[in-house]
Amino acid sequence: MKQEVPIIIGLVFGLLVILGVFFPTLGSLGVWKKTIDDWFLLATAWAVGVGVINLTQIHAKRIRSKSKGYFHSIWLLICMYGLTVFGVFFAKTPSNSGWQFVYNQLLAPMSATVYSSIVFYIGSAAYRSFIAKSLDSTILLVSAVVVMLAAVPLGRFLLGAWINQASAWIMNVLNSSGMRGIQIGATLGAIATALRILVGIERSHVGGAAE
Amino acid sequence: MKLSPGQASAFVFLVVYCGAVLILIYRAKRGMKLPEIYKIPGLDAIDEAVGRCTEMGTSVHFSPGIAGLDDAQTLAGLAILGYVARRCARYDTDIVCTIRTIIVYPLAEETVKQAFIQEGKADRFKPEMVRFISDDQFAYASGVTDIMYREKPGASVLIGGFWAESLLIAEVGSIVGAIQIAGTARLQQIPFFVAACDYALIGEEIYAASAYLTREPTTMGTLVAEDWGKMLAELVIIVGCILQSLGITLLKDLLSK
Repeated sequence: MKQEVPIIIGLVFGLLVILGVFFPTLGSLGVWKKTIDDWFLLATAWAVGVGVINLTQIHAKRIRSKSKGYFHSIWLLICMYGLTVFGVFFAKTPSNSGWQFVYNQLLAPMSATVYSSIVFYIGSAAYRSFIAKSLDSTILLVSAVVVMLAAVPLGRFLLGAWINQASAWIMNVLNSSGMRGIQIGATLGAIATALRILVGIERSHVGGAAE
Repeated sequence: MKLSPGQASAFVFLVVYCGAVLILIYRAKRGMKLPEIYKIPGLDAIDEAVGRCTEMGTSVHFSPGIAGLDDAQTLAGLAILGYVARRCARYDTDIVCTIRTIIVYPLAEETVKQAFIQEGKADRFKPEMVRFISDDQFAYASGVTDIMYREKPGASVLIGGFWAESLLIAEVGSIVGAIQIAGTARLQQIPFFVAACDYALIGEEIYAASAYLTREPTTMGTLVAEDWGKMLAELVIIVGCILQSLGITLLKDLLSK
């Protein structure tokens, strides 16, 4: 019963949402879909509380046991609860100047910093991958060199316009056809997975057998 | 009732395809002879990865990606999480599942908890095995890399929807020496996983994982339907190319309805 009830609820609501996407003006399907979407948002909002409890439990345990780097956990809890109190009792709206300062001067630059660090990881991953140890990796290496040379002015300057044409051919013909093949397969797989979950064949998330 | 262009044909295709999936599930249940699935090294390597962690006394890191429940990749990731968690429970190995999307957290926790209960190791389940990191993409990536550096898991399984953080997490996994199995259907991230991980699952392979790992006839039936769908798509592409080259727009008009 513990497994069947969530599956029945999932099936009914899943079908309503799918039909609501295709036939929003048929009867009250559109209204139903909108209502279910709103309920989903509410459920997500409640789940934030669960996440906060999880974070608090894990980091409080680290602080209690004084495990290595526990001061990071203290700082995390101060920031999390401090910002919550500031947002709820003082800022109140996202347009508040203090809240805007936190977002624009702290969160956005920190996210940009982490994002920028990807460039170094691209370098190290490329260094490991671009080794001509087999036919496949040699093709990858040659294709990558052509595409990279075409992307910088120096490539055209040194090798002429053909490098751009070769790069465009690799990207538009070879790459696109391969990617579309993957995309068609992935879309069909996604529909089959969704259907397996809707009809209750795939039920590991509600405690069903995973093997 | 007015549908937007292409929606009617999409709905017809969806109904036909879902019908085919359900018929094949029914036939598979009644003992239909199922074809062999080609070997997917990435999925075969999951047992090896968990075994490595057991020998080394380290944990297994798992991430179901950063997408929400409205993305089938997350659901595929959770199905594989169930399998990995059961293997970890069986061999008394810790699992650390990191979560970015908060609505995924209760499902992931339930999946891991149930896996330990099914293996008769309910007492070994710890709440910190499933960790909500942050709802922010790069804060999540930072949190995961911190866990990688600090806890040095022996294996890292990344299966689900990943965006720009994919390479960051995979490269750090590679730096700390974890055996890495990664898979996504996000086209832009597949090359990163191929470059940085030991095994990569490409596109549809993440959706086939559940059937591949369990070999359950009902889930295997859906794989046959997927192959039928692919053949139908190939047929439509070939016929469409020929008709379009001949200046006949019948198929194009039909698909635009």
